[in-house]
Amino acid sequence: MRRLGNIITSIHILLCVFLLVGCDLGRQPKISIRFWNGFTGPDGRTMLKIVKKFNRENPDIRVLMQRMDWGVYYNKLFVAGIGNRAPEVFIIHAGNIERFMQANFIRTIDDLVASENGIDARDFSENIWSAVEKNGRHYGLPLDVHIIGMYYNRALFRKAGIVDEKGEPKPPKTREEFLDALSRLTKDADGDGQTKTWGFVLTWYLTNLYSLMCQWEGKFFTPDNDRCLLNCPKNVEALQFCVDLIRKYKFAPPPENFDSWIGFRQGKVGIAFEGIYMLADLERQKDLDFAGAPLPVLGKVPAAWADSHILCLKTGLEDKKLDAAWRFMKYLSDNSLDWAEGGQVPVRSSLRNTERFRNMKIQWEFARQIPYIRYVPRVPFIFEFGLEFHVGVEKALRGTLSPRQALDEAAENVDKVIERRKKMIEENRKPRP
Amino acid sequence: MKTRGRMIIFFILGLGAMAFMLPVVLIFLTAFKPDSEIIHFYGIFPRSWTLENFREILGNPEEIPIFRWFLNSVFISFMVTTLVLLVDSLAAYGLARLHLPGKKWAFTMIVATLMIPGQIFLVPVYLILNRLGWLDTPLAIIIPAGAGAFGVFLLHQFFLGIPRDLEDAANIDGCSRLGIYRHIIIPLSKPALSTLGIFTFLGSWNDFIGPLVFLDSVDKYTLPVGVALFQTSYFAEYGLTLSACVICTAPALLVFLLFQRHIIKGISLTGLKE
Amino acid sequence: MNKKNALYRYSGYLFLLPYLALFGAFLIAPLCYGLGLSFFDWEMISPFPPKFINLGNYEEALKSPYFWRALWATIRFVIMIVPSVVSGALLIAVLINNVSPKRESFFRAAYFFPTIISISVAGILWRWFYNTEFGLFNSYLEHVGIRIHWLSEVKWAMKSIVLMTLWWTLGGAMVVLLAGLKQIPDQYYEAAAIDGAGAFHRFFHITLPLLRPVLLFVIVMSIIASFQVFGQTFMITRGGPELSTRVLVQYIYETAFSNYRMGYGAAMSWLLFLVIAVFSLVQFRMMKER
Repeated sequence: MRRLGNIITSIHILLCVFLLVGCDLGRQPKISIRFWNGFTGPDGRTMLKIVKKFNRENPDIRVLMQRMDWGVYYNKLFVAGIGNRAPEVFIIHAGNIERFMQANFIRTIDDLVASENGIDARDFSENIWSAVEKNGRHYGLPLDVHIIGMYYNRALFRKAGIVDEKGEPKPPKTREEFLDALSRLTKDADGDGQTKTWGFVLTWYLTNLYSLMCQWEGKFFTPDNDRCLLNCPKNVEALQFCVDLIRKYKFAPPPENFDSWIGFRQGKVGIAFEGIYMLADLERQKDLDFAGAPLPVLGKVPAAWADSHILCLKTGLEDKKLDAAWRFMKYLSDNSLDWAEGGQVPVRSSLRNTERFRNMKIQWEFARQIPYIRYVPRVPFIFEFGLEFHVGVEKALRGTLSPRQALDEAAENVDKVIERRKKMIEENRKPRP
Repeated sequence: MKTRGRMIIFFILGLGAMAFMLPVVLIFLTAFKPDSEIIHFYGIFPRSWTLENFREILGNPEEIPIFRWFLNSVFISFMVTTLVLLVDSLAAYGLARLHLPGKKWAFTMIVATLMIPGQIFLVPVYLILNRLGWLDTPLAIIIPAGAGAFGVFLLHQFFLGIPRDLEDAANIDGCSRLGIYRHIIIPLSKPALSTLGIFTFLGSWNDFIGPLVFLDSVDKYTLPVGVALFQTSYFAEYGLTLSACVICTAPALLVFLLFQRHIIKGISLTGLKE
Repeated sequence: MNKKNALYRYSGYLFLLPYLALFGAFLIAPLCYGLGLSFFDWEMISPFPPKFINLGNYEEALKSPYFWRALWATIRFVIMIVPSVVSGALLIAVLINNVSPKRESFFRAAYFFPTIISISVAGILWRWFYNTEFGLFNSYLEHVGIRIHWLSEVKWAMKSIVLMTLWWTLGGAMVVLLAGLKQIPDQYYEAAAIDGAGAFHRFFHITLPLLRPVLLFVIVMSIIASFQVFGQTFMITRGGPELSTRVLVQYIYETAFSNYRMGYGAAMSWLLFLVIAVFSLVQFRMMKER
């Protein structure tokens, strides 16, 4: 009895679902392009709006956007690749592109860029365009560049008297100004030994420390990626500076993993270095008066970590699909100011030199760093490198190991990964019996 | 028992119960706070009650097709439950009651698979589903769910406890094995079946990894996967996430409250028929 | 006659057929694939094809400090959670067994409630609780001057995960034990009362021995499940701080899906299976003997 009822209900539901799905079927034949990315949260919704606009303006193409958290995204992309189900257009981080390049997973786009419906390659900043280049060919279209920058709390700055002649908060530019600002921002208002306001907080170790190490002119790998140089003296110095901020000067609290950003959002921290993509998060905090500026030069030279979202094409696409996919990619690129609203920086200089972009104050400030942005080293084992980097920095910041020891350990572990890969290449070169 | 003893017990239990239920109550309450307030944590109750989180989730069907996800979840969980109940009860009956050569080995092997970490299955199952062309369809979630050993184990234990005389009588009357299954075993197993049904439903409803890997289109997602879209790698939109959690948990909560007695009776039986 | 009987008996397998078909296709086949894979050195999405290396992956795992550290994190978790869940569940079950039936229903529901919440919801929730800056716990502890770095200090991180798991899984265990308690006939207790036995005596000499089979079931299932812990650590601490909560399943997951070393990941999964099987068997033997 119940079983019969079940069957009926199932059929019922099946029909409903089918109806809801079926609504989309039975239209004119469109070229359908699948577009995968990892844009969740507000990013995702911004991108979705752009995609819908494209679909409306191009009735012969239908772009289906599928998104999921970055962590799982890459896994899924790979597994789909194995099953030959990779989407036509997908996004990769510039930092990860090496692996995909080596695996012949993506198609070069030079012919499309140079075509009639192309893009002027000179419109891209040099260092960004070369991030997707290998052996003279370019493997994807940079959509944006997300740079790390300095967010600062204007209210706290004013209270601490860090202002210019007009009384406006003055973000520090050099190491001296930085330390001076921190000393004035770090307060223990009620003298109970608990610091209530911190001058500075370290957020994502990879981006923060990588920027600083580059500022100290440190190196990470030998030119042929044969050995890891993470423990070179300049990097140790940079890491020591951060450790000092916590332990010697006490301008920054002990490390909190990824929750340290919350302190800034709560208005308890004066300065934090984070990527432009955190803008949407900050804007939700209605009671926070904040602004952005380029990173101060704490080392010897200016440098700032950056990564880009690269639009990539699956290999093996032909004519109609290829054309449609490229039209979509070009559209996204041309309209990257829409995308920038959500907290990104366009990579095309022509778009940056517009009134509209200048009005995106924080993006504009961060974009000033473009001439000296630094991508992470281009190696296929970037995940392992990132992990060792993170753990090493963490140990040093907590005082478990000295900066020197921590980086030594990290470099050693990365060397092991390099060794294994070298062996693998060797094995594969051997002639088969 | 002495009254004072009872009161102490009641007090301890009550404290513990509050501690256990508090987190859930919190989800519900926090969903009504605006994002700016959640960051500061002024207290359990919202300072300013707001429906903005719910509005943003429910009022944005283009970007957040939450009803769609809900329907998908209902459909998939329902089908999984039906499949498992059907297939597992037949198998459990066979293993518990029929004289099959080698059935002890079959049963041991089936139960041993419970000890194997699930990660092993992810990629091979993906490849198989791909070959079958089922990826990005509900079939990818529904069919593999029928392979789980838990249901067979549970029903097997319970079927062992049904008195044989009834079956023997039916046998003498000339009833086929299928007939015994249909007319004796199943009706007598209502508690166990409804328990397995509820477990399976809840398990399927909350299943995250399967739908995440095997479904591609956002409009085919189930509820837990859809809710995960509010967590980016960099931060979580706490307000939205928590209100989505409320929407996600409410049906499970309802099912639980309605069938409370059956569930709890059922779990107990697994332990007993050891 | 014989032939007919054999046919009859084998046709009984038809009952198992639907299940075995699914079992074979989606459990056994992937298992064999996984087992086979463990003998190969294969990096997904790389220019290198899979290479047969015999027990090379197993060797690498047993020599790898990362593997042992992850295994140790898992074992630490199991050692902390299993006794606490089982004893906590037992305590609550005994207490509930001693209240009036009306109240019993309510309490049973209250303690079982967390178990029906999905891991992603529970993970988000507790990560928020444990937040040093604005989490629930610290916001209240602040008033008494305590500030615990729940998730960012090595000595607290795993304990925080254990606490959360305790909340999440105690209900399930409790309910089974409660049913087991209900099975014990009242006469035993009445006889003991007449003899003047106190509460503790009753518990240790009547309740526990008669509860043993059910207790064994709960303990073994608990061990099996705890060794496979992943969701909590992944969602709440992501294996940190300093990899102290990176349990073996997370390491396997990262190896297979972030480093794309499928063969190595498969080998480690089988090693984990062996560990689980050993622990379960030992527990079984230990309790059966007494």
